[in-house]
Amino acid sequence: MADTPTAAVVAARPASAVPACLLAWLLPGAGHLYLRRTGKGLIFLGAIGALFILGLAMDSRLQMAVGLDDILASLFSLAQMAIGLPYVIARMLGYEAGRVTSVTFEYGNTFTAVAGLLNILVVLDAYDVAVGRKA
Amino acid sequence: MTPSHLASLILFAALVSLVFAMLMREDPRARVRFGLMSFAAFVASAIVAGWLMSPFPS
Repeated sequence: MADTPTAAVVAARPASAVPACLLAWLLPGAGHLYLRRTGKGLIFLGAIGALFILGLAMDSRLQMAVGLDDILASLFSLAQMAIGLPYVIARMLGYEAGRVTSVTFEYGNTFTAVAGLLNILVVLDAYDVAVGRKA
Repeated sequence: MTPSHLASLILFAALVSLVFAMLMREDPRARVRFGLMSFAAFVASAIVAGWLMSPFPS
């Protein structure tokens, strides 16, 4: 395994993948900015950040239901948490409850969850860039 | 903030298509083409699904 191209690249650049992935999770696009992919990083920050903020503006609830009691609720919470610091900051600012009676409540939930899910893809992309699989 | 169903759909489709295009293609022209195709697919499929559901009561 050690002589495969991917493993060789990882071995050659072990330092950049971990901080890139960590930064990418904490703030959408930050991993790409760290890897000097400025254009990509700013677009991810703008698009995913906009999805999350629009979701909050549409009265999304930011759940913290992690456990085995309700698997779907847990998966939904994990999807929202995948956006990293914006989730924590929004909860601290009092956006955790949402507004169930709002007509846009479900749209808002969809926007915030998809923002988190897209950020998982962005973290994986940052990893690929860090190890040299992508430009 | 209470955008219409269509405005929400267009906003969602545009932002997700932008991220998909940046992730899935490397060449700028291919990104634009992929993003537009993805956006059109999102909007068209939602409209078709809505049209198919329209005869059923809510």
